[in-house]
Amino acid sequence: MKKKLLKVLAISLMFATISGLAFGAGTTEKSKDVTVNMFQLKVEIKDAIDGYAAKYSEATPGVTVKVETLGGGGDYGGAMKAKAQAGQMPDIFMIEGRGGYEIWKDYIADLSNEPWTADTDLAFTVDGKVVGFPVAIEGYGLAYNAEILKKAGIDPATLTTRAAYEKAFKLLDSKKAELGIDAPVAMAASVAGGMWWVAAQHNLAVYWGGGLDFNDTSIIEKALNGKLDSERFLQYTKYLQLLFKYADKKILLNGSYDDQVGSFAQGKTAFLHQGNWVDPNLAQLGVTFKIGYAPHAFLDVEEKGLYLFAPSWYCVNPKSPNAEAAKAFLTSIATTPEGHDYMVNKAGMIPAFKSVTLKPSGQLSQALMEANAKGGNYGVFFGMLPDGAGQNIFGPIFDLFAQNPDNTDQFIADMTKAVANLAK
Amino acid sequence: MKQSRLVNVLFVAPCVFAFTMVIIIPFFFGLYFSMTDWNGVNNAVNFVGFKNFQSLFSSPDFLYSFLITIAYTIINIVFVNIVSFSLSLMVTSKLRRRNFYRAGFFVPYLIGGIVLGYIWQFILNNILVDFGNILSIKILQTSFLSLPHTVIWTMAAVNTWQYAGYIMLIYVASIQSIPASLMEAANVDGANYITRVFHILIPMMANAFTISLFLTLTTSFKQFDMNLTLTNGGPATRFLDVPVKASQLLAMNIFNTATANRMAEAQAKAVVLFFVLLVISLIQVSANKKKEVEM
Repeated sequence: MKKKLLKVLAISLMFATISGLAFGAGTTEKSKDVTVNMFQLKVEIKDAIDGYAAKYSEATPGVTVKVETLGGGGDYGGAMKAKAQAGQMPDIFMIEGRGGYEIWKDYIADLSNEPWTADTDLAFTVDGKVVGFPVAIEGYGLAYNAEILKKAGIDPATLTTRAAYEKAFKLLDSKKAELGIDAPVAMAASVAGGMWWVAAQHNLAVYWGGGLDFNDTSIIEKALNGKLDSERFLQYTKYLQLLFKYADKKILLNGSYDDQVGSFAQGKTAFLHQGNWVDPNLAQLGVTFKIGYAPHAFLDVEEKGLYLFAPSWYCVNPKSPNAEAAKAFLTSIATTPEGHDYMVNKAGMIPAFKSVTLKPSGQLSQALMEANAKGGNYGVFFGMLPDGAGQNIFGPIFDLFAQNPDNTDQFIADMTKAVANLAK
Repeated sequence: MKQSRLVNVLFVAPCVFAFTMVIIIPFFFGLYFSMTDWNGVNNAVNFVGFKNFQSLFSSPDFLYSFLITIAYTIINIVFVNIVSFSLSLMVTSKLRRRNFYRAGFFVPYLIGGIVLGYIWQFILNNILVDFGNILSIKILQTSFLSLPHTVIWTMAAVNTWQYAGYIMLIYVASIQSIPASLMEAANVDGANYITRVFHILIPMMANAFTISLFLTLTTSFKQFDMNLTLTNGGPATRFLDVPVKASQLLAMNIFNTATANRMAEAQAKAVVLFFVLLVISLIQVSANKKKEVEM
């Protein structure tokens, strides 16, 4: 008996010593060099940013930049919270809009004095202070298959009013068999397919910003105070109804992202409601036909702009001793030729900085970049809504409207009620 | 052999330590946070009492999730137990290759809920719909997952397909532990098969029913993974004149609240889920226990 007891004691002692050693080793590690920890959520640029960070670390003595990526299906917000609670807050992290700012504002540094702020229109600003570095420009209009439109005899340049769209959709719908298409539009709105964001976020943003000045947030501010502009919303509802009515029903009510993009890539639909992030998908699917962007023209009057926004921003943690090194790393991305090469050629993004002259390879990205240079585009403001508004509140409303697009009164009533609740 | 107290304590200590750190302490933290305005990051946590709980029962999406979870649980308990009990009778009969069937029915349980959800989503949304279109069967032409009134039943059916094999094993073990002499005696006395099942088999395996009902009750109530991948809460439906997600079960409602950065509110919902599940399962177990017979 005694022997056994001794054994157990010995084993537990052994464990205690090992763990003691392990903890001891952790605290003694020290170095003069600075390590900047970056935590980012864009999975698609992981290799590009890792490569750039390694290059930067090599070129900058005393500074090592380490990038950790978690995104896609991963819960970035949850992981960030765990890091913050564990006292391992990264030096550079990402926010995706106003909601993220409100959560993390104690950990977000003022970047107003950084050299790149004058070079961009899309920095994240709060009360006139710049706090976020725009990761990229993304944007969307209604992408069209130029070959199908040509065959049907539609000039995409004329698609600048709702009436023009109605005519074009009708024409395409009547020639379905001849053109070999299933439906005029590939639109998705289903909660089930996880596509609430196409309808209840990106399409709804057309109502928030379409036809206004790029920085005009009056409509969404009105909504945050609980009110819809009923005249404008009625026009928007009619436009959304058009998209829903002429959409492929299976994709609209059940489809996933792959179903939606796949249908357009196979020439089964003439229009695609997606942004320039589909470029790599279209390339993968072997698309060779010419693609362009038509504006989401929902008003009775002409609209010609596309919708441009920065989907996410890098923020610097001011409580970190490495904050200055972190700022310098971001500056290098925005201002050096290597940084520009990383953004455009390696990561395939459209940089939000005007001084960048490189061109991305995707057709839709090129169309956006041209539109950006031309000006007259519209802002995208859904990031100003409370977190979860698109997914949990507007998502089901749009899904219901897609199930029954004739019931516009119900849709308007539901949205009026939902927006009134935003003010509470 | 008499064991020393110290040895017992030493052996139990690691487990108690882990259980305390991972379950007990977070549980009480959770209770506390459900009564605060914590957002997951901010260290300035204000105590707000039962404010989070009060707003819950006036929000249509939570009420709907609550009701739909109860409905789903009831459907599931009935489906799973009837199917698995029938399967267990089948594989304990004199059927040829019964061991093969036992293994076969159990295999779906080995597929993870996430993968299973995607597989069935593909079957229901694409394969069945295509069948419907080719054979012009009207009922198959719209996916069962896209109609608010069929989606819960479809989820229960998929869950039954997965879970029945597991519960079947519990029933099989129980049936095999019943002495053959009892059934033979009844047979000699002239009782037919149905009578034997209902008057000997079922009363004799009451403890298996206790376990099986408890397991199906708790797993259905906490269902999340298959819910996420199969339906993602969709389609939308109308409840109390507000559009809500027709198949968003409680666990998913909690998850969606938490990912919208409303941590304290999500925690309050989780506390409600815990207590409701605790009360229901206690009632279920005590009711079932009364029916168990001692050999």
